[in-house]
Amino acid sequence: MNAHVTSCWHCGEPLPATDVVHAHIDGVQRSMCCHGCRAAAEWIEQLGLGDYYRLRTQGALKPAEDLQHHHAAWERFEVAQHVTRDLGDGRRETMLLIDGIRCAACVWLIERALCAAPGVTSVQVNAAAQRARVVWQEPTANLPQILHTLSRTGYRALPLDAQSLDDLRRRESRDALKRLLVAGFGMMQAMMYAAVLYLGGVDALEPATHELFRWLGFLVATPVVLYSAKPFFRGAVRSLRAHQLGMDVPVSLAIGLIYCASLVEALRGGAEVYFDSVSMFVFLLLAGRYLEMRARHRAGDLTDALARITPRFAQRQLADGKLERIGIHELRVGDRVHVSEGGIVPADGVLTNDSCRVDEALLSGESVPVSKQRGDLLIAGSVLVDGTAQLDLKRVGADTELAGIATLVGRAQAERPKLAQAGERAAARFVARVLSLTTLTIVGWSFVDPSRAFSAALAVLVVSCPCAFALAVPAAITRALSVLARRGVLVVKPDAVEALAGASHVVFDKTGTLTEPQLALANIETFDGVPRETALRLAASLARLSVHPAARAIAAAYDDTRFETVADMRSQAGLGISGTVGGRELRLGRADFAAPGVAGRDSSCDEAVVLADDAGPIAMFRLSERLRPNARAMIDTLQGLGLEVAIASGGAEAKVAEIATRLGVREWRARQLPTDKLAWLQALRANGARVIAIGDGVNDAPVLAGADVAIALGSGAELARATSDIVLAGERLDSLPEARAIACQALTILEQNQRWTLFYNLAAMPLAALGFVPPWLAAIGMSLSSLCVILNALRIGHRSATRDTAATVGAPPIASNVSAA
Amino acid sequence: MNVILVMIPLSLLLMIGAAIAFFWAVDHDQFDDMETPGLLALDDKPKHEAPRS
Repeated sequence: MNAHVTSCWHCGEPLPATDVVHAHIDGVQRSMCCHGCRAAAEWIEQLGLGDYYRLRTQGALKPAEDLQHHHAAWERFEVAQHVTRDLGDGRRETMLLIDGIRCAACVWLIERALCAAPGVTSVQVNAAAQRARVVWQEPTANLPQILHTLSRTGYRALPLDAQSLDDLRRRESRDALKRLLVAGFGMMQAMMYAAVLYLGGVDALEPATHELFRWLGFLVATPVVLYSAKPFFRGAVRSLRAHQLGMDVPVSLAIGLIYCASLVEALRGGAEVYFDSVSMFVFLLLAGRYLEMRARHRAGDLTDALARITPRFAQRQLADGKLERIGIHELRVGDRVHVSEGGIVPADGVLTNDSCRVDEALLSGESVPVSKQRGDLLIAGSVLVDGTAQLDLKRVGADTELAGIATLVGRAQAERPKLAQAGERAAARFVARVLSLTTLTIVGWSFVDPSRAFSAALAVLVVSCPCAFALAVPAAITRALSVLARRGVLVVKPDAVEALAGASHVVFDKTGTLTEPQLALANIETFDGVPRETALRLAASLARLSVHPAARAIAAAYDDTRFETVADMRSQAGLGISGTVGGRELRLGRADFAAPGVAGRDSSCDEAVVLADDAGPIAMFRLSERLRPNARAMIDTLQGLGLEVAIASGGAEAKVAEIATRLGVREWRARQLPTDKLAWLQALRANGARVIAIGDGVNDAPVLAGADVAIALGSGAELARATSDIVLAGERLDSLPEARAIACQALTILEQNQRWTLFYNLAAMPLAALGFVPPWLAAIGMSLSSLCVILNALRIGHRSATRDTAATVGAPPIASNVSAA
Repeated sequence: MNVILVMIPLSLLLMIGAAIAFFWAVDHDQFDDMETPGLLALDDKPKHEAPRS
């Protein structure tokens, strides 16, 4: 039955031609691609959780090799204290960031696998944030065991700082939810009692019943004002202490005035009370704030990925030359650390051995590893590709470049969106004006008819609706963010929606943005009449043993399964690999390494690799980057939308020119250093252009920062994703034009909302000031104007939804996780 | 009309009850994650009853 099985039962990747592993799962023989997958599948079966394979909708992440000895390091006291929290009675709690949660079945599997482990008392998995909160009983269970259980199940987990346990975000959102609910309940009840009063006005009510319903209204409005509206009062006090007139001041003044005036009216048996309006007022304002908070938290979850890329352990070299494995926060400046091949550099330091090659993709987005010589600075977070490294640490912990960027990112996230701030400032200005109009009304009526002054002033306060102002922006932005997320466009900074809609230029950082991140084999040139296939087979046999991008491209180009046996394989950092095939020593790599004297690179390709033996060169492989599918269509659409498209690349002139021609881009610049790119962007912006920069490297950090909107691809460097304003999930470049259309629509609707609120208020307020608006009409007007704003915001994404259904087929998995943003 | 004197306190009590229930739910993590439970597929016939927290 395995004859036609082509993919691994566990991870779903294609099976290798040789070395297929088999296992009996649920009585059926299944094929797996590697021992890691087999171990995970057998372990899942052993736990009795084989249902996972039936429930899941996606293949699992290929399990990494089990690092049990690494897990043990979490037991060190200093480390454990850093990442876990004592709950008393020997119970401890930790927050794990879990890699590889791909669908609902993962959540199911993780919860069950961990709960089955002895000593684990509670597990909560949050798929959207990729986190799990685990509580266990010491000493029956411990952190290394939990990590081990997870890694056997096929998930890599990383304990986060203990601080993340008392998540500020969680407390904030719980608090807001409670206040919102109290306001909602109070509002509903108050409106019910008010309805009796309004109808009683038509159908004369007994005075005692009338009185009863007034006091009932007071009863339900009181918790709303005293509990739900507390954040407004607190904010007002805070800004008054700071001698500022923040937006909370006029809002709390209005709440307090309406509430107290209604109370006075109720006490002295006056004409009207407004307990229903004040409750609604508080509820709608809180709803606006809640929506905005959700958008902000969502952005935070997305960029927590930063925690994942910082290594947690380092190997410190002791005076006697021995290595000691310690937690990263135990490192001090001046320590000497050892990084082995494939390891992550734990802190910024100077290389003290001869040379090594590091992958700084994290910081630069460049997939090609960089060579470092003795004395060069290695940056925390970069991955060692070849060789080992000894570092003398120069900067540790919070001083490293990586931590600096992380802090910046965190700070940017805590800020409220500018649009929302502007919206709230508009609301505050508006309330201030309403308050002065109210005073005018009182003064005016006290000359005409002092008995009506109070009720007319109250009507002005109630009928004017800052709620619609306060809701206009958060409603539109939240809706836009969730519509975009469903299309695979994750907006990290809500401000970006505005900038995206207003942009006039798009600048692509060519490398990795318009092209596939992997190199591809462009052509093979053989020497001395060697058949192409033979050359490729020899090269691929060598190349498949290396992880260098060029080697991977050659191995990928060979679609046969017959490899030569390679003995005595050696890899020379930065030069190439060599090995013995059939008694002949072969070298594959840079021209000056494999066969000195052969001209290697030319300008038409990105990299050339030469295969040679002692007799001379056998073949030359030219590698180049491939255009991403859809790149051309996307650029045509963007140009159709009236945007100027340009390419700024660090690459060679001929190459950039070729790509620009193939894509129909007229404006391009080659051989650009980040400073050149920045200067160009600044020049563009000085001429009034609003620029979208699309890149996947953070060596372009200044460039991205210099643009109005920075967009990164989801498949790019993690740090690029963290520092950009918008992340395109997967490699869906084609969602960009659509995103712009949605952003434009959102802005239009936002403006409509604001104009509508202004119109309503200008129309209603003079009437109220003249005493023509009874309280029931004021309440209806206020709620209707807010409802209009929300319903209008829900239109965002509707128009394009029908047009673009074709484009959203096959949306990446992440979209389903975030669609409810 | 006298029935109102019973119904209104009753409705207020119910509302307070609902608010207390909601506060309890918020404090017991019921609203922290609005997405994951929705992702969890409903399994018709659970073969294995694993302990839930």
